[in-house]
Amino acid sequence: MTTLGRILVVEDDPNDVELTLTALADYNLANEVVVTRDGQQALDYLCCREEFSMRSPGDPAVMLLDLKLPKVGGLEVLQQIKSDERLKLIPVVVLTPSHEEKDMIRSYSLGVNAYVVKPVDFHEFVNAVKELGIFWGVINEPPPGSMEKLR
Amino acid sequence: MGIALGVAFALQYYQFRDVELPVLVVAIAFTTWYAGNGPSVLAVLLSSACFDYFFVEPLYSLEISSRDLPYFLIFVAWAGIVASFSAVRRRIEDNLHLARDHLQVEVEQRRHREDEIRKLNLELSKRAVELEVTNKELESFSYSVSHDLRAPLRHMIGYSELLQKQASSLLDEKSQRFIRTILESAKRMGNLIDDLLAFSRIGRAQTKKTRVDLKQLVEEVVAEIGQDTRGRDIAWKVGALPVCYGDRSMLRLVVVNLVSNAAKFTRTRKPAEIEIGCVDLNKEEVEVFVRDNGAGFDMQYVDKLFGVFQRLHLPEQFEGTGIGLATVQRIIHRHGGQVRGEGAVDHGATFYFSLPKNVQDTAERTANAS
Repeated sequence: MTTLGRILVVEDDPNDVELTLTALADYNLANEVVVTRDGQQALDYLCCREEFSMRSPGDPAVMLLDLKLPKVGGLEVLQQIKSDERLKLIPVVVLTPSHEEKDMIRSYSLGVNAYVVKPVDFHEFVNAVKELGIFWGVINEPPPGSMEKLR
Repeated sequence: MGIALGVAFALQYYQFRDVELPVLVVAIAFTTWYAGNGPSVLAVLLSSACFDYFFVEPLYSLEISSRDLPYFLIFVAWAGIVASFSAVRRRIEDNLHLARDHLQVEVEQRRHREDEIRKLNLELSKRAVELEVTNKELESFSYSVSHDLRAPLRHMIGYSELLQKQASSLLDEKSQRFIRTILESAKRMGNLIDDLLAFSRIGRAQTKKTRVDLKQLVEEVVAEIGQDTRGRDIAWKVGALPVCYGDRSMLRLVVVNLVSNAAKFTRTRKPAEIEIGCVDLNKEEVEVFVRDNGAGFDMQYVDKLFGVFQRLHLPEQFEGTGIGLATVQRIIHRHGGQVRGEGAVDHGATFYFSLPKNVQDTAERTANAS
């Protein structure tokens, strides 16, 4: 019995959201995808606060995190997740447009699970997102407590 | 002398005997002190004569009685001693004065210089702060370039491709070409941004210097580019190359840029000849060249070769962003070396880069360069 993890996308740019969702849909990934538009919303979602207080329980199998976000930045979200006993097991993949070494070092030292630079080329972008979705949403065994849905 | 003589007569008149000697001697001392050596000799002679004439028996004659001879001789001796003492003291005092004035001038100058140094230091620290601010600005500039400029590009490319996929059956050939052009231009801009960012990163990155075997490095690169150019007729020639000192990954980038340029600009040649070698192995400075028999360039534009985004060929002839040689130059300058190019249109080009051979040389030159 295979199970599909929920994917949490944290991305402020609506175009990027659409392209990411298109890329995920392209491969007919049936995973549940949740989109949050800034760092605060992402943390609220993970902690079931505010507008997400009534959401279905369980942690996402993976979180695709942009670094440049309004309100609470990506690196700060990462730091809060990795320093929280209850959230730190959630796999976090940073998905950023830049090769900036500073961001990379900071992300890895905070304990990021993967760091992916969004390719400018659309095919490559679609492939990258697809592979991330497949690996983290299907192949990877998420930590106990993740919300899973039967395929 | 006259005054002294007067005083001596006056004292003698009042029956003060034997005071003429100190009075005259004091007069000599004064003369020496204030008038210098010549007048002092004159004073000694004159006062001796006066002493002899007025105070030594027989009086009022220049003759000296045997009784008063010792008295006269004592006077002369005293006069001589006092005069020379006076002269020596005067000289010492003058020297001291001179030295003091000299010192004063020096102190003044030093104070002046210190003021200047302080002013320069102040200016320098102000400059350093300014530079740091500019550097920070540049850093945040390149950060936002890499973040914010790429996003819209990605969208342009993404949506153009989605449009191409969705509406290809509805679009005529011309419209499809428009979309292809949009895509190509956006991709090209993406490449430009990537290259520019990589270029600016070279300027900021720390160099990690170790011993680098250039021969091994070049062979590695040639093998790699040989893979990419399979099917082409290229005669590779790699000569003897020394071991030098530098940042391996950066030097690799230099070789990759030069060799791939050579491969690119010999595309129309059959066979293409690419030679990599060292000008003189025994020199203190390593000078490596990459020579090809490709399209070459007009030496008239040699100054433009190493500029950012400078290209000497049309994009239809040879693709590229025009940042490769600028990168080469920047890396070599950071290593304390020099770059240059030689060529002729249709007769190939040769690019040289020099590197210091030893550790100390590299350190010194890099320090000088910066």
